[in-house]
Amino acid sequence: MRRYFFNRHEWFLVGVLAALSIAITWVNPSFLSFENITDLLKSFTVLGIFSLGMFMVIVSGGFDISFTAIAQAAQYTVVALLVFRWQSAGYIWVAIVLAVLFGLILGCLNGVVIHFFKIPPIMVTIATQNLYYGIMYVVTRGDLIHDLPAYYRNFSYARIIEFHKPDGTPYGLTWVTFLWIVLGIVVALFLKYTRLGRSVFAVGGNRISAERIGFNIFLTTLFVYGAMGAIAGFAAIVDVSIAGSVIPNSIVGKELQIIAAVILGGAAITGGKGSIQGTFLGVLLFAVLSNSLTLLKIPSYYYKVFTGLVILIAVAGNALQLKRQEGKKVRVQVDQIPSGQA
Amino acid sequence: MFNKLKEFFGGATLSLFVTMVLVFLFMYLLNGGKYVDLYNIRSMASQLPIIGFLAVGMMFAMLTGGINLAIVSNANLNGLVICVALSWLTGSESLVRNDMKSASVFQVVLAIAAGIVISVLIGVFHGVMVAWLRIPALLVTLGTMTFIIGVNEAVTRGYTISGFPAHLTRIGTDNLKGVLASWGVDFPWAIPIPMILFILSCIVAWLLLNRTRFGFSLYMMGANETAAKFSGVNIMKITVIQYVVSALFASLTSLVMIGQLNSIKANYYESYVLVAVLACFLGGVDPNGGFGRLASVIIATFILQFISSGFNLMRMDPYMVTAMWGGIVLILIFGRAILSYTRRKLRRRTPESGAA
Amino acid sequence: MTFLELKGIRKSFDGVHALKGVDFTVEEGEVHGLVGENGSGKSTLMKIIAGVYTPDEGQIRLDGRLVTDNSPFFSSVSGISVIYQDLSLFPNLTVVENIYMGKVVSDPGKFVNPNKYIQTAIDALNGLGVAINPYDLVEMLPIAKQQLIAIARALTNKTRLLILDEPTTALTRKEILQLFGILGRLKEKGISFIFISHKLDEVLEICDRVTVLRDGGLVGAEAAKNLAVGDLEAMMLGKSLTFERKTSSSAKPDEALRLERLTKKNNFADVSLTVKMGEIVGLSGLLGSGRTELALALFGIAPADSGKIFVNGRESRIESVDDAMARGIAYVPEDRLLQGLVMDHAIGDNIVLATQDDYLKKSRLIDRKAMQSMSERWIRDLGIKTDSSRKSARVLSGGNQQKVVVAKWLAMNPAILILDSPTVGIDVGAKSALYETIRESAGKGMAILMISDEMPELLSNCDRIYVMRNGRMIREFDAQKITEADLRGALEMSGSTSFRGVGV
Repeated sequence: MRRYFFNRHEWFLVGVLAALSIAITWVNPSFLSFENITDLLKSFTVLGIFSLGMFMVIVSGGFDISFTAIAQAAQYTVVALLVFRWQSAGYIWVAIVLAVLFGLILGCLNGVVIHFFKIPPIMVTIATQNLYYGIMYVVTRGDLIHDLPAYYRNFSYARIIEFHKPDGTPYGLTWVTFLWIVLGIVVALFLKYTRLGRSVFAVGGNRISAERIGFNIFLTTLFVYGAMGAIAGFAAIVDVSIAGSVIPNSIVGKELQIIAAVILGGAAITGGKGSIQGTFLGVLLFAVLSNSLTLLKIPSYYYKVFTGLVILIAVAGNALQLKRQEGKKVRVQVDQIPSGQA
Repeated sequence: MFNKLKEFFGGATLSLFVTMVLVFLFMYLLNGGKYVDLYNIRSMASQLPIIGFLAVGMMFAMLTGGINLAIVSNANLNGLVICVALSWLTGSESLVRNDMKSASVFQVVLAIAAGIVISVLIGVFHGVMVAWLRIPALLVTLGTMTFIIGVNEAVTRGYTISGFPAHLTRIGTDNLKGVLASWGVDFPWAIPIPMILFILSCIVAWLLLNRTRFGFSLYMMGANETAAKFSGVNIMKITVIQYVVSALFASLTSLVMIGQLNSIKANYYESYVLVAVLACFLGGVDPNGGFGRLASVIIATFILQFISSGFNLMRMDPYMVTAMWGGIVLILIFGRAILSYTRRKLRRRTPESGAA
Repeated sequence: MTFLELKGIRKSFDGVHALKGVDFTVEEGEVHGLVGENGSGKSTLMKIIAGVYTPDEGQIRLDGRLVTDNSPFFSSVSGISVIYQDLSLFPNLTVVENIYMGKVVSDPGKFVNPNKYIQTAIDALNGLGVAINPYDLVEMLPIAKQQLIAIARALTNKTRLLILDEPTTALTRKEILQLFGILGRLKEKGISFIFISHKLDEVLEICDRVTVLRDGGLVGAEAAKNLAVGDLEAMMLGKSLTFERKTSSSAKPDEALRLERLTKKNNFADVSLTVKMGEIVGLSGLLGSGRTELALALFGIAPADSGKIFVNGRESRIESVDDAMARGIAYVPEDRLLQGLVMDHAIGDNIVLATQDDYLKKSRLIDRKAMQSMSERWIRDLGIKTDSSRKSARVLSGGNQQKVVVAKWLAMNPAILILDSPTVGIDVGAKSALYETIRESAGKGMAILMISDEMPELLSNCDRIYVMRNGRMIREFDAQKITEADLRGALEMSGSTSFRGVGV
């Protein structure tokens, strides 16, 4: 069984996406327009970027709840510094570099605690989420930052492919979406073509074997949580440039949705399995779901009802399939014709 | 009697108990007399049960290595069902413009029963998904949590619903002295009703965990499900009961919540899901299942409450409390690690190599 | 030429001497057997060779040169590879990825070019002469193939000495012969092997020399062709274990268990047998014969599809463990660690786990005191060596752990007791104590079905012996009228394709 671009689960997601898209287009033809699709992608870019880091964490057999708090703290700290203190350093890339570094440090801290104290990652990251988020809130007192310099907004408005509507309003594929996709490809290549990347799958598949064969487990752990932090930092800046202001509670609370997207994309919560393609499809499914509710004029309250249903159906379907396979397993190759006496 | 106490507390619990006393003393030092005055004690006693119910409910799920992320949304749904039932029973025109105040005691009891039914159904669903389909509890409850929050939002349409009848809100606000006085009995101590509910529910939980076949099986199954199954433990039955008990604690939470907030919303106390997990972890519940003492979890909720009340009195940012909760767990992780490291160093010279 | 030489190796843990001055040599192109009872120091010695442990005293020489600072890394670059019993594979990765993963770690450079490695991996597989699709996921393959993958992986690493820890435990006879064929070919290329096993006949079949350890000391190292299984046993135990042929039977005329054409798809077919009250009946068969699957069906874990089960003369449906226990069927499972015991909980709690209903008070609450005194009674009766019923089962030796499992089921006072490989991996003293317990229970009228592939054990305990192969019952013997050779012949009769058989 060679690895093809999509595996069975991913083809299933593609099918669901196609079916949903056809159904929605039937009702509202504007769904499949280039404008709607690029808008949709843009609004799910932040979630998509987060999902790349979460994907690596889950494949390594880990778990992270704190990354939204890291993003929130990185966003606030960096933007506040750049707006109130270091106005002269006002470039988007400075913000990105600082936020990525900030996230990297906090993420590595998670990795160190998880590795050296042998505490389940879910416990450690719940604690650090409280810690990071609490400290940030205490420092900021929950104040919003409005009136951001123009370079934030410009970053999210910049388009790599741009068209104009008859009335002159531009639309098209934004740079931030493009960067999300590029980052996804980079992560996929990294996981496949580097030793560290291979170790993520190895550790997630069988930790003890990975250790015996000579992988440095600490390095792998540090890498996945550090990368999660760094990616969270990047996502935080993309988020602020799309939102146009810093709201101290805009990201925290979304962590479980991002985890859900990754799981929906076929990554096994037990580690070792999953693909970037699947993760993209998982995010897309959420995007299409939310957009279809809008286009079908269903109140936004129902979004979570459907999200919950999709998660439940996906995991239950997967579990049922596993159960069926288990039942069919051949334990003993039974002789067809009785030999000897019975 | 002493043996009973020792059994109840146990060795590891003792260090947690000391931690609790230290936290209390520390907060007392920071705040002085007002930390121990009647007003603060009473307010702690009425707030603590909310974290307490959620933590104990979470503990039941965690004893098999599971988790119940839906516990808070379940509590909110439970409250909403009470709302819907009361509005319907009193013939209100809508949830927001309701006539619940006119509900009779009997109608309130019916509404509470309806809430319990919903919680039990959620618990059964969780149990079946976990035990029969063998889906990790994390995923099942993540799904139901999202779904339930969605239902809550769809039902409330974002509104906050208030106007509960007094005999319902009393559960969260009144105290024993008041209740008994209304029955013509004179009782000296004004113990808040939530605290009484908490104590009673903890006694029931303790009996369930330590003196019933369910509890015995739960601990054994949490440590090794296969061996329990091969010893005749009905995994399906135990798992369903386990998640039903967890949901019933959500039900209790909602009763107290309705009273204290005098309203219900789609997602009150959303962040308390993780606080409940923290309390269990602080209380030494093994996240992989099989081990964990009720007494420790209760002490852990006391610690969390002492911290939050202390900081509240100091007019500290509520988020400082969040930070402290995270901080104290990390400190405890470090502390436990250092302790076990030194103990190992002292006990033996040549431990087996780490590579083994 | 000597490849590896160990001299006067000593090692102790917590003041307990695991190895007390052991000498050990491996020649180039030699298959060297390493045998001993559990706790004799085999695995410590293996880990010292692999560089996992550092010896307290003694010398290690490779190719005659003294090794001063052994480590897992050093031993691996010196050409020593270990295949642990669990194989250390990555179930989530493909066959080729598993094979080249070792190279990924050892090759310099941070980047990996999978295409470069794929050919190496395929070559390694071809070198073993086995047909495995290189792109299959390892978790989908049977254990025998996984084992070959582990060997292929070791060979990509320029291995000169391969240590195999209990490699045949999960293999069928046919798979074992295939493995031995491959080892033979590799041996001709000058690769050496250390073959650790408790299956003595297999050790003598494949090894050139055998080293025997007992209580951390060296008993001897001799050429395999000069040894017999009995000699090895005597060396391992320090005394020869004599099995008395069974002479008397406690069987009563009433049937406790009767199976008629019991069938479960992909597990077993048309199995019929009877066990009388007070009778000890053996059920033998190699791995993959369906013997364990039959027991699991009787105990309700994986119920049968068709056929009839009669318990005490009444036809009974067994769809769940509850059903089985309600009819008085108890099962001591094959895998003690996973299925038999809740290792981290108290010994006492394990003993009363299956009989919780007996301790209910009128209030429907359980009586912990009664539980404790009952478990203490069983600890005394079966001679379980512990100073407290509250200690966790993990601290016990294998034999005592098995006694706990047996106590758990005897506490139920079952009508039918099924024991699956009850004495695998336990020491002699515990073995004879268990036999004694089993006979005593049979004497009280309990029907015993003992699954085993140890001939002396079957012949000395059983009244009758059934033999299964490839999911079917093929023979029934009167235990007093046959020899070990008869039984062995029935077991190993070259059958049709044998596929795979692993317990649950």
